[in-house]
Amino acid sequence: MRWLFSFLVLALLGAVQALSSSGSRLLVVLEELAEKDKYSEFWDDLRGRGYTLSFESPKNDKLSIFKHGERAYDHLILFPPKTKGLGPALTPKLLLEFLKKDGNVLLTLSADHPTPSAIVSLLLELDIHLPSDRNTLVVDHFNYDTVSAGEKHDVLLVPAPKALRADVKNYFEVDGTIAVPRAVGQGLGNATPHLAPILRAGSSAYSYNPKDEAEIVEDPFAVGEQLSLVSAMQARNSARFTVVGSTEMLQNEWFDAKVGAVGGKEQTTTANRAFAAKVSEWTFKETGVLKVGRLQHYLNEGKKNVNESAVGVPEHNPGIYRIKTDVSFTIELSEYTSTHLSPFTPPATDDVQLEFSMLSPFHRLSLTPLAQTANSTIFGTSFVLPDQHGIFNFRVNYKRPFLTSVDEKRQVTVRHFAHDEWPRSWNISAAWVWVGGIWVTVAGWVAFVALWLYSEGVEKGVKKTQ
Amino acid sequence: MRFFRSILPSLLVSGACVVSAASSWGFEDATLTVQSKGAGVGGGLKEKLAVNSPLSKQVTLGATDTLKILLTTTDGKKAKRPHQAFLTVTEQASGLEESFIFSVKDTGKGKVELTQKDLPTPLLLASEPLTASLVIASFGSSTPYKSKAFEITVERDPNAPIAAGEKPVRYGKLEEIHHIFRSDPKSPPKIITLVFTAAVLGALPVLFGVWLTLGANLNHISKALSSAPLSHALFFGSIVALEGIFFLYYTSWNLFQTLPAAGAVGLVAFLSGSRALSEVQERRLAGLR
Repeated sequence: MRWLFSFLVLALLGAVQALSSSGSRLLVVLEELAEKDKYSEFWDDLRGRGYTLSFESPKNDKLSIFKHGERAYDHLILFPPKTKGLGPALTPKLLLEFLKKDGNVLLTLSADHPTPSAIVSLLLELDIHLPSDRNTLVVDHFNYDTVSAGEKHDVLLVPAPKALRADVKNYFEVDGTIAVPRAVGQGLGNATPHLAPILRAGSSAYSYNPKDEAEIVEDPFAVGEQLSLVSAMQARNSARFTVVGSTEMLQNEWFDAKVGAVGGKEQTTTANRAFAAKVSEWTFKETGVLKVGRLQHYLNEGKKNVNESAVGVPEHNPGIYRIKTDVSFTIELSEYTSTHLSPFTPPATDDVQLEFSMLSPFHRLSLTPLAQTANSTIFGTSFVLPDQHGIFNFRVNYKRPFLTSVDEKRQVTVRHFAHDEWPRSWNISAAWVWVGGIWVTVAGWVAFVALWLYSEGVEKGVKKTQ
Repeated sequence: MRFFRSILPSLLVSGACVVSAASSWGFEDATLTVQSKGAGVGGGLKEKLAVNSPLSKQVTLGATDTLKILLTTTDGKKAKRPHQAFLTVTEQASGLEESFIFSVKDTGKGKVELTQKDLPTPLLLASEPLTASLVIASFGSSTPYKSKAFEITVERDPNAPIAAGEKPVRYGKLEEIHHIFRSDPKSPPKIITLVFTAAVLGALPVLFGVWLTLGANLNHISKALSSAPLSHALFFGSIVALEGIFFLYYTSWNLFQTLPAAGAVGLVAFLSGSRALSEVQERRLAGLR
């Protein structure tokens, strides 16, 4: 049945060029709708990927991101308001509700206006810290654009981001440098694994308050690579929230601006368009999306090799197993990229792992890719069930930065040996003494019966005693 | 989180210093002092720092030491106050760094103080010396300055260990766990078993031998069989058959197969036994036994 469903989805996907895996209704919240023309190339890129855009102002009374308790839109783009906040329809509480209902949000900030406290408190909910004095600007005297910001140094030229860690795939690789004009830097909380920086400032950058610290910076909010210019938050339900520190970097003029680096010989074109595409693709669940196909576990009755066809495999996903038996487990994983499902390959140093656990894992094994179909990779492994009986779970818990979370659990009972599955007494060498004793007794008894029935009395005169 | 230091700006900057086309930031009259709490003014390290020449001597920062740098920032030849005057301390292995701000007056005279308390824990716990660089830059077109100035070795007080702190949760591959099975129950060495089994089995011939010495015999078989052949045959046969049923129950049968068979054989034993045993009684009353 699952095959049929995924085939249907595949057929539907084929109809559009690119489609987010979670819907195409996109709402852009702009305070001054006249400004939307400055970003027309960005809207065209989004429309080309299959989104239907709606533009609203936060002052609009009728604006509501919910309708009858469900989300009215699948994705939100929020531009920084010049006034106090985002209005009554977009309070931090409602935006968090939106995230809880699996909606994705792209929020941009700008250093031109002070950030409203509603946005500061919303980001604080996600453990993203903004400078407490709301007027801030990130500058870098070593990596700025000499063409447009030769004096003020507030247009940063940042190289394309590299992979976050060796075991995480880079979804934001672009060719060239990215111009980040007049950005608000963010600091990411350290405690949560849900936050990841997409674009970090260079090590000589810092954030300061242009009003108070015009002469010399005394107490910068954050410095260097601790400043995150584009940050990503992925909640447990895989809802994505991206904060882009500079609204201007999405404007048409910065999509193909000519910039010159400090000490550089010639001018280069920015890679802002490609980067904006990559960031919006990730935020709106076009990339970094994992899908689970068929999950199968079965008893390995003597067959040591596993094949993916159903023929020749014993009853799959039984509800009960016995301890200390050989069991095989396979799971099918696909990665969805913009238009289609493709086989998922985890990065080189990373593995998908299976946990066989009751209250805590008895086994945690790395799954190896056994086979590939057109759309998916089949990962599997075989192992011996522990010698503890009880209720166990086969659990694949694969959560990684920038990937939707995979948490598949199947519960099975593991029973102990049945009364006739124990080794027989003649197989236990220590028992031979007693087994021998029993049969010696049997032989003695039969001999005694024969003697008693058929013997002639001993010489006369001997008293008949027992 | 991994960081990547970009060395390109500092390389370009040091290159730019050679070209005298634009003015560049720098510093002069820079002194570095390390003083312990309670020690006199004369004690401790005191070095001069110069632009673009890292100190070859290692600077040690102990638990009660204060590292102080005094300098005058210059733009070209003039003493001037920059917007950014930082002392950046970097841990080479992970790339983590923290910057300490100079408090610079209008005249360009700047000062920064650093103690172990100011260093964040990952830098305090570093095993390699930390790299300290001076960053002096500002708005405008003057070339900014960033260059390694010296290296700091953090000398921690062995009596005051610093808790490394809980590592924050990060999603990633976890360690493999393989269940360790309980070992199967083991039997003692077979030779001991065989010795005792032989002892047990040996009791049977001993028993037969003792019976023989006491005058055991089967002399009345012909007499018994001639007077009640069927009964005796059935009776002794059913005794032997019952043992056979026990053997089958031990090896392959279950109780539901055993009980009917035992019942049938028991019935045969009962019916034939009454006749057989009354024949034995006859022989006893005749005085033959």
